[in-house]
Amino acid sequence: MKLFSVSHKTAFVVDHCPYMAESSRQQVECDVLTKSRGQGVIPLAPVSKSLWTCAVECSMEYCRILYDVYPTKKLVNYIVSDSEFHILNSWRQEDQSTHELMSALAAVGPPNPREDPECCSVLHGLVAAVESLCKITEYQHEARTTLMDTADRVANRGRIICLTNAKSDTHVRMLEDCVQETILEQNKMAASSDRLMLIQQCELVLVHIFPQGEDTLVSDRPKKEVSSLLTSEVHSVRAGRHLATKLNILVQQHFDLASTTITNIPMKEEQHANTSANYDVELLHHRDAHLEFFKSGDLHMAGSTSRDSGLKETVTLKWCTPRTNSVELHYCTGAYRISPTDVNSRPSSCLTNFLLNGRSVLLEQPRKSGSKVISHMLSSHGGEIFLHVLSSTRSTLEDPPSISEGCGGRVTDYRITDFGEFMRENRLTPVPEAPDESDKTPSERAKAQLERHTRYWPMIISQTTIFNMQAVVPLANLIVKESLSEEDVLTCHKTVYNLVDMERKNDPLPISTVGSRGKGPKRDEQYRIMWNELETLVKTHVGSSDRHQRVLDCVTACRSKPPEEEERKKRGRKREEKEDKTEKNGSRDTEDKSWQESDRLKGALDREKEEQAESEVIKDSPDSPEPLNKKPRLEEMQLPEKAKGPVSLLTMWTNRITVANSRKHPEFAGRISSVNNKADLYQHLKDENGMDLHENGKAAR
Amino acid sequence: MPTVVLMDVSLSMTRPVSLDQGSEEFQRKNLAVAGLTMLFEHMATNYRLEFTSLVAFSSLWELLVPFTRDYNTLQEALSNLEDYDKTCLEAALHGVSNVVQQEWGHACPTQVVLVTDGSLGIGAGSLRHSLQTLKPRPEDKKFPLPFPFPAKLFVMCIATMEELQVTDSMDNLEKLLQLNGGDGQIFTMEGQLCLKSVQSMFGRLIDAAYTPFHAVLHCGNLASDVQVFPRPEPVFLDEEVDPLPRHVLTDLEIVGFIEIGDISSPPVTSRHLVLPIAVNKEVDDVGTGTTEEMEEETTANQQAGKAPNFCVLLHGSLKVEGMVALVMVGPEWYGMLYSQADSKKKSNLMMSLFEPGAEPLPWLGKMSQLGPISDAPENPYGEDDSRSPFPLQPQAKRSYAQNVTVWIKASGLQTDVQKILRNARKLPEKTQTFYKELNRLRKAALAFGFWELLKGVAELLERECTLLPDTAHPDAAFQLSHAAQQLKLASTGDSQYAAFDHNINPMHTDFSGGGAGM
Repeated sequence: MKLFSVSHKTAFVVDHCPYMAESSRQQVECDVLTKSRGQGVIPLAPVSKSLWTCAVECSMEYCRILYDVYPTKKLVNYIVSDSEFHILNSWRQEDQSTHELMSALAAVGPPNPREDPECCSVLHGLVAAVESLCKITEYQHEARTTLMDTADRVANRGRIICLTNAKSDTHVRMLEDCVQETILEQNKMAASSDRLMLIQQCELVLVHIFPQGEDTLVSDRPKKEVSSLLTSEVHSVRAGRHLATKLNILVQQHFDLASTTITNIPMKEEQHANTSANYDVELLHHRDAHLEFFKSGDLHMAGSTSRDSGLKETVTLKWCTPRTNSVELHYCTGAYRISPTDVNSRPSSCLTNFLLNGRSVLLEQPRKSGSKVISHMLSSHGGEIFLHVLSSTRSTLEDPPSISEGCGGRVTDYRITDFGEFMRENRLTPVPEAPDESDKTPSERAKAQLERHTRYWPMIISQTTIFNMQAVVPLANLIVKESLSEEDVLTCHKTVYNLVDMERKNDPLPISTVGSRGKGPKRDEQYRIMWNELETLVKTHVGSSDRHQRVLDCVTACRSKPPEEEERKKRGRKREEKEDKTEKNGSRDTEDKSWQESDRLKGALDREKEEQAESEVIKDSPDSPEPLNKKPRLEEMQLPEKAKGPVSLLTMWTNRITVANSRKHPEFAGRISSVNNKADLYQHLKDENGMDLHENGKAAR
Repeated sequence: MPTVVLMDVSLSMTRPVSLDQGSEEFQRKNLAVAGLTMLFEHMATNYRLEFTSLVAFSSLWELLVPFTRDYNTLQEALSNLEDYDKTCLEAALHGVSNVVQQEWGHACPTQVVLVTDGSLGIGAGSLRHSLQTLKPRPEDKKFPLPFPFPAKLFVMCIATMEELQVTDSMDNLEKLLQLNGGDGQIFTMEGQLCLKSVQSMFGRLIDAAYTPFHAVLHCGNLASDVQVFPRPEPVFLDEEVDPLPRHVLTDLEIVGFIEIGDISSPPVTSRHLVLPIAVNKEVDDVGTGTTEEMEEETTANQQAGKAPNFCVLLHGSLKVEGMVALVMVGPEWYGMLYSQADSKKKSNLMMSLFEPGAEPLPWLGKMSQLGPISDAPENPYGEDDSRSPFPLQPQAKRSYAQNVTVWIKASGLQTDVQKILRNARKLPEKTQTFYKELNRLRKAALAFGFWELLKGVAELLERECTLLPDTAHPDAAFQLSHAAQQLKLASTGDSQYAAFDHNINPMHTDFSGGGAGM
């Protein structure tokens, strides 16, 4: 449906002239006496509604259904006409509710039977309705403003529903002519106004209401063109339930509605709590929910006619157990708001309350063949009930190649859990509209946050060290923030100090050995990789704020050494070790030693269960006495070995080469300036001043 | 989007094509087969998920190959075509309509490729005759177009434009396209009827309808090249206000994530597979022969399988967490990415598109107003994930969610009156409910101008008062006569008593203050 179709604006004109105070002669017995209390009590005389009451309650029912199915963009302007017109609400969205209208109607009250009938006419209301159709709605205004130079695409059409008691067919013609003339007049005025719009199309629906038991003076007439601008139709209906049925049909026609009857709804009986009877409930909704039936021609087969009238059709769908759960994502091709036709009946309210409590019901299509086809689902979202249309035909996307067969499908160590965590952090939330607060919309801010969070985000476990370390988490979580507080900076600094501490204690790092052969890089190499990665992460956020910069400063200051320096330092230490050994073990061949080392490791394996395995290995070594500073190196070799089993030949070879190479490098500056071959490491930590490191670094160079 | 190839096998297709002297003699059918072969080869390599069926027609029609992705079968059937009698398009289009509806229902968009020489029959059963007799037809003998399902009609004419314009064939074909809602295109051959020009014509069809849709899926700085299958079609929103079609952009940007329970089976306009692809940028420079290219492709694919891909990561996490990714596919147009598993435990990344617009899902609100959690003063999901900001509550409650009063059926009115009387007999315990129901009835009666009812109920209450047993609480009588009096006052329409927002309050008695009168 086009937004600015005839249904965008509906003007209700209800006759409030003295004759509408007449009784509809449909009597309602409201004093239903129970048998036990019946004796000796004179029941209250039945009450009967006036024509006015009938007109008002049926028009309210029309509006109720309309507002249920279209809460926005379908507007009603309610006008009451007697000796003058009374406009009860405006086109504004906030005026669109039955409560609003009922309140205004109460203020108007029933027609005064003593008023002079000569002064009263429904014409006042019809003229007011035409004028009102010229008034621009907020939606038309908004569309015109956004379209700018193509604003003429915004159409102005409308419908006038007039509930009256006409005298004769001639009277009806007079009313039509009056509307036609008024449209022409108003269009002239509108042409010269910015605030009014020309009426391009108007549908007049005249409903003549007459009391029960009387013959109608006005004949029914289907829609005909009065002019290119105006069409008119006349419905002559008895007051009471006939009128209600008529307006129910009209609201369906006017707003493309269709009816579905849910059948076989199990409901507990009040009296017999352990039995349940089956009920039917009729719902109205947009007719597109039946599109599949229309097209397949199944409509007549699937549906039966509604109990209330022989005129309208309803499609019957069966309540289906088991129910569905909310975490299932159904393939749904449409969802349409519903309105129960009989909102107050017990079956209706049972069904709607059941749904409003958050449960969903699948609906089954009765088919000739007896096969079960689930075609719809009823579900509520935020207090609104929707009829979902589920796809029940074969999918063209069946049997697609699995994602594991495509690009990246062979990779097995994706950081699935971490990305899940990332998704939770980047969940969305509705943000109340705040004009001119910031130039970015919330969704743009959401995208900006995704951008920040993904500046450095390795996809697989073996590509990263820091994201596998619990110790880095506080910093990693904070650094992606748009702005950091002083406290955040402090937390980041603490994280860095903690890493420094880990390095000093030579704690193992969760460096992945996947892809690399052997047991992977050595401990200090691992730390170098870790620091590099951390620096990469922090560097990508440096532009965000000064505080981000301070975190980077801290990382660069605290990380063991600049990479090349670090390299040299390590090699220096190794060479020293080597030298120590050669001093103590004479000209023993490096290869020999490696073999012995491997023997030693086998021994270690044998005694794996012993708590002190490592130290005993060292003590049992035939190579004793052990230099003090060799200890860390052994540890470093044994820990990965614990995890990966015996050391491989390649690792031994690599180690040997590394050791050999280390000799070819210049001596570690620290050792040159050492006392008794001992140099203090991490002096800056004792000083608690990062600057010292820099100075040391420079001095060393 | 499945394809039906509707192949004309009437005798006129066997007309020879006049070629230069000395060259081999071709029939139009041969050219058609060559063109289709090219189309099938293209689909087999670049569009292999498309389901295609082959229908041959003359005065009758026959489904040669039901919908399949096996292009060899299609190719084989093509080479075994036989020649039949005259062209009768209407029956064949009925056939297509049946074949598609039986397989895919009425909602699945379909492409129909009609291959014909443009001589569309004579007399009864000819297209000309069908089009002339469109209007006065009974319901069961309607012309098959427009199809009951959304369809694009491509007419491949093994004839030149000039040839078709000599007769009224072109006009009739254009009218056919119009009947289909204008969705489709007529292709004719340019220049001489030969292999080269038929290939160029089918090349144009491939460009128009069978080029894979490639896009880049972004999530901040993470990205992956993807193919979106089937190709997302342009969508018209409101043809009056906004007559331009909306296209899906080639940059699909993830905005954020939402839990499946929160997005809650939303209505979608179309569904697509999102397949990660390896974009081999050097393929243009290297390799001229087809086989070489094929080999290169396989090795490239093997390598690509081992390189981490964002789609796989995303898919894995969406599946594990039970979430969807909200993805922006165009201005004010969104979709969702999620993991979809089929019955064979194969699982895939899927994208469903919502209706274009600012607010496709009422329970999520405006899409542009969905922001990061950090925008909210406190985590809307709660520290332990026990809450959710969704669904959004609409400003006004629907009629079924509030206690509306409808008296259209007598039973509605009777129930409401009985409810009041029931509570009246249980006064003073039910004082609150009694007045609540009384006020509800009063409001409705005033709005409907149903003052007679107010008087009636007032009388009923007075009667109840006289019927009170001796054991009744003294307060009951006071409340009943007070309520009756107030209703009577309201029924006069006196603005002091008949105001809609006014409520009748319980009478304050000495008895109501905690049993003072006992």
